[in-house]
Amino acid sequence: MEAELAKRLVAGLSDAGVNFVSYLPETRLSQILPLMRSDSSFQLAPVSSEQEAVTIAAGATLGGKQAACYIESTGIYVSCYSLVTVGKQLGVPLLLVVGFLGGFQDQRNSFLYSTIGAYARPVLEALAIPHAVIENGDGLETKIKNAVRAANALRGPSALLFAGDFSL
Amino acid sequence: MTRGECLKMLAPLMTDHLVVTSQSGQRIEWSHFSEHDGNLLLGQMGCALGVGAGLSLALPHRKVVVLESDGSVLLSLFNLPTLARLNPADLAVYVFDNGVYSGSRISEPTATGGRANLEALAKAAGIRNAMTIRSARAFKKDGVAWLNKKGLRFVVCKVEESLLHREIPRPTIDLAENKYKFVRYLERTEGKPITFVGRG
Repeated sequence: MEAELAKRLVAGLSDAGVNFVSYLPETRLSQILPLMRSDSSFQLAPVSSEQEAVTIAAGATLGGKQAACYIESTGIYVSCYSLVTVGKQLGVPLLLVVGFLGGFQDQRNSFLYSTIGAYARPVLEALAIPHAVIENGDGLETKIKNAVRAANALRGPSALLFAGDFSL
Repeated sequence: MTRGECLKMLAPLMTDHLVVTSQSGQRIEWSHFSEHDGNLLLGQMGCALGVGAGLSLALPHRKVVVLESDGSVLLSLFNLPTLARLNPADLAVYVFDNGVYSGSRISEPTATGGRANLEALAKAAGIRNAMTIRSARAFKKDGVAWLNKKGLRFVVCKVEESLLHREIPRPTIDLAENKYKFVRYLERTEGKPITFVGRG
């Protein structure tokens, strides 16, 4: 991902009000981490499993934060239980910021990623989690705000899956 | 020592604490002993430690208490090194370890009913303030004292299996109602709106 795109992504999260991010780092979007770390408007929570990325972010949301989880798309599978129990059943807004591997738009796609990436969107659909795939910087800031607004309105998770230019 | 005995000792000590419980016995018994507005009764296992940690990180000036079970903690053991790393400012975790999956109704053993030791796991994960309590007398002295210490505390309470939670009324407040009651309590006590509630 070009440095400018990483900056816009982080600025977009901040402009959308996101101020707490739990994360398990991955390859495609990792440039956002040092940027968020150097921005005092973000409180960061490194985790050991995407399942707890969701529960910790949910706790922060209930405590008044606008929380997001930065994870790889395989983390959607890992966190299904938390997404259902805390995200959906309890009804806690979260933004999932997802490095989307394995799709058509994944510039790093290979046999390692294509199969495990194929189920990310069907799983989100099965969980009734609204989501969008973002391939480039066109309207990025608006798309992030829309996703945050949707999560708050629905009292549940929403997801942005970053691929294309974000996966370079 | 039973879980109910310990919870009875803790309940009257709640002031502005935020209390998160996992499913199941501790959720039912705590709701019976405490009607505190700061109670958040989660409906599933394996989520309370994470939610409690997130609350504590978001509100480091508040006292957060998590009431857990051995089965629930074992379901999300990755929480332990993460908690140690995040090191919340004021989070007291009480794990009521009866060594069985009581909800199975056949007292099927958990791993702590075998050789697993939650205090040792917590310490190995980096949680320095971890201890095991084995009697009501010790809970009254040390367990209660750790409630209002600072930092991250992890108290394993070795309890006998009790069926109290099947004998007392179950909470009638549903998850959404409880969530909003909790959030409104936070808005009152923090003096600011909770972001996601928003305008209607």
